[in-house]
Amino acid sequence: MQITVKLFATFRAGRFAVEPRTYPPGTPIVEVIRELDIPEAQIGMIMLNNRHAEPEQELHEGDNLSLFPLVGGG
Amino acid sequence: MLTDEQIERYSRHIMLKEVGGKGQKKLFDGKVMMIGAGGLGSPIALYLAAAGVGTIGIADADVVDLSNLQRQIAHHTRDIGTPKVESAKAKMTAMNPDVTVNTYETWVNAANVREIIAGYDFVIDGTDNFAAKFVINDACVLAGKPYSHGGILQFDGQTITVQPGESACYRCIFPTPPPKDAIPTCSRAGVIGVLPGVIGTIQATEAVKFLLGKGELLTGRLLTYNALRMKFREVPIRKNPRCPICGDNPTITDLVDELDAMNVCDIQNNK
Repeated sequence: MQITVKLFATFRAGRFAVEPRTYPPGTPIVEVIRELDIPEAQIGMIMLNNRHAEPEQELHEGDNLSLFPLVGGG
Repeated sequence: MLTDEQIERYSRHIMLKEVGGKGQKKLFDGKVMMIGAGGLGSPIALYLAAAGVGTIGIADADVVDLSNLQRQIAHHTRDIGTPKVESAKAKMTAMNPDVTVNTYETWVNAANVREIIAGYDFVIDGTDNFAAKFVINDACVLAGKPYSHGGILQFDGQTITVQPGESACYRCIFPTPPPKDAIPTCSRAGVIGVLPGVIGTIQATEAVKFLLGKGELLTGRLLTYNALRMKFREVPIRKNPRCPICGDNPTITDLVDELDAMNVCDIQNNK
């Protein structure tokens, strides 16, 4: 299946902003995070098709996945 | 009863139908507790004082450092070495002698946050670390007190307003804090100086709107901002039934410090 992955803020460094990517059907979001070598502790918010999502949710053909880092400064 | 001078000072408020004399009185009677007197706290402090919010609490244990001044606009060069709460209070009362500023020269933690926020109508989180952000969320949710969360780093910022019990809280989005050092701080990773002005001003706007009882608060949606691309995004956030503090079966029923998220200085200061 093909999904669109969007990375935000510091996650773009050395990776990409938006990219179509291919995974086996039913791949959970956490697998994509691992494959992109993003430390899980840095994950702030996950959005799947513009809705807040959990790392264990499975992906489907045509999904839009957005990953945001935590932002904790002040 | 407004004096002639106050009518003049707040005339641009009073002429708004959403404010008027009654709304200005609500702001005078309003009590806002802001935690953090740094980048986010600076515009929050100045705008709340300028707006005539009658009682403003401000908590921070830090002192002004030269490296703060690129973004922490409530502090001036001559304030270096001064407690941030005192420096901020001086600017707030100089700008508007009508307001009462209560200072709390301390870091917030599970032992003191409940008492610090108790007398206030609305709380603003302008802190720079996850331990504080989580304990502020938990204290506000447990006390049923509305508050504004804000966070900034490098060129990115985010903010959401929480109406406990009604809208998603910080833990609905982020159930547990990241381990310490997993996320860089502004002091390690840098921050563009104008960024806290944007996010902090939005947080102050939420406090003013809350006190006025006008408009729609930034609840149920996380607003993210990227200064480099000049993009604002809204992420809809529902209350999470599995949220550890406001979900269906909460596991957090009392305040605890997230020790793993604290840095060594915080832990030493909390002793």
